[in-house]
Amino acid sequence: MKLLLEKFGRTLISRELGSEALKAFQSTLREIGPDELLEIDFSGVLTLSPSWGDEFLSPLLNQLGDRLVLLASDNLSVQATTNILQEVNKRPFNTKS
Amino acid sequence: MKENLLNIGQAAIILGVSIDTLRRWDENGKLIAIRKEGGTHRYYRENDLEIFSSDLFKFATEWIQNNSDFPGKFYCQTSSVFQAKLTKMEYELMGKPGFEKLYSLIVLVAGEIGDNSFAHNLGKWPDTPGIFLGYDIQKGIIVLADRGLGILETLKQVRPDLPNHTTALEVAFTEFISGRAPEKRGNGLKAVREIVAAQPLDLYFTSGDAEVRMQGTDKSFRVTRGQHILRGCLAKIEF
Repeated sequence: MKLLLEKFGRTLISRELGSEALKAFQSTLREIGPDELLEIDFSGVLTLSPSWGDEFLSPLLNQLGDRLVLLASDNLSVQATTNILQEVNKRPFNTKS
Repeated sequence: MKENLLNIGQAAIILGVSIDTLRRWDENGKLIAIRKEGGTHRYYRENDLEIFSSDLFKFATEWIQNNSDFPGKFYCQTSSVFQAKLTKMEYELMGKPGFEKLYSLIVLVAGEIGDNSFAHNLGKWPDTPGIFLGYDIQKGIIVLADRGLGILETLKQVRPDLPNHTTALEVAFTEFISGRAPEKRGNGLKAVREIVAAQPLDLYFTSGDAEVRMQGTDKSFRVTRGQHILRGCLAKIEF
């Protein structure tokens, strides 16, 4: 399954809205098969902050592990945020270019 | 050429303050009005209002020090107002030559600092809720401030042993704090420090009597003790 993150907004900043986005995504998340990958596509996102990402991507990383796949992005805030979240969670994201 | 003067009502709308505030600013010399010969009504030059509004750092400092009034256009009472103003700023930054890629890191830095203010003071604002967000894209400056609890008091919820503001700021900008609920200052300021260190951005950040300056060619991270104790947090980002 591919998730276009832009569906939650193009400026993803606040911790509160990151948490709301994860709650909204729960029903879709339940439809993912046990071996299915969840690919996160950052196209269209202008700014992604570590606070938003920590509320949305960190729980998904803990739940899905390597089945969570981050598609490559040339956006500098996406790169900075995924780097810091790897440090916070002490585990790397599975990535795909 | 005849100069176009604004009356006090028009000036109040432009600055986003009340007419009473403008009268008070006139009386205490903060923003002196013009009076036509023999008249009592107050008038303002549009250019003077622009110059007055441009000293973002002064407005923010005086607000957190003395709870002084400032132009309403810089006030974000809620997180959603902040988000909307930040998005507007983001579009302006994207259009600035040379910032086509860097804009997202600047928005990230400003967004983390501002969101921290809301996340840590929700339901706990000592007096005025919300934050100051002022920016001038042409000059390359963003100023954020809040009259909240400040870094030391909020971090003490997870680190009760913190002795002073300087140590609190050191922890906030450098340590990953695990199991941080209910304190969700989280790790945003660590990202801010790493980005400012690596990119052509300058940062001044203060809370209590502790100051962080990462400016110019010396981007090494140090927390020093300032001369004054400030309420909440105050940040200046330059680029």
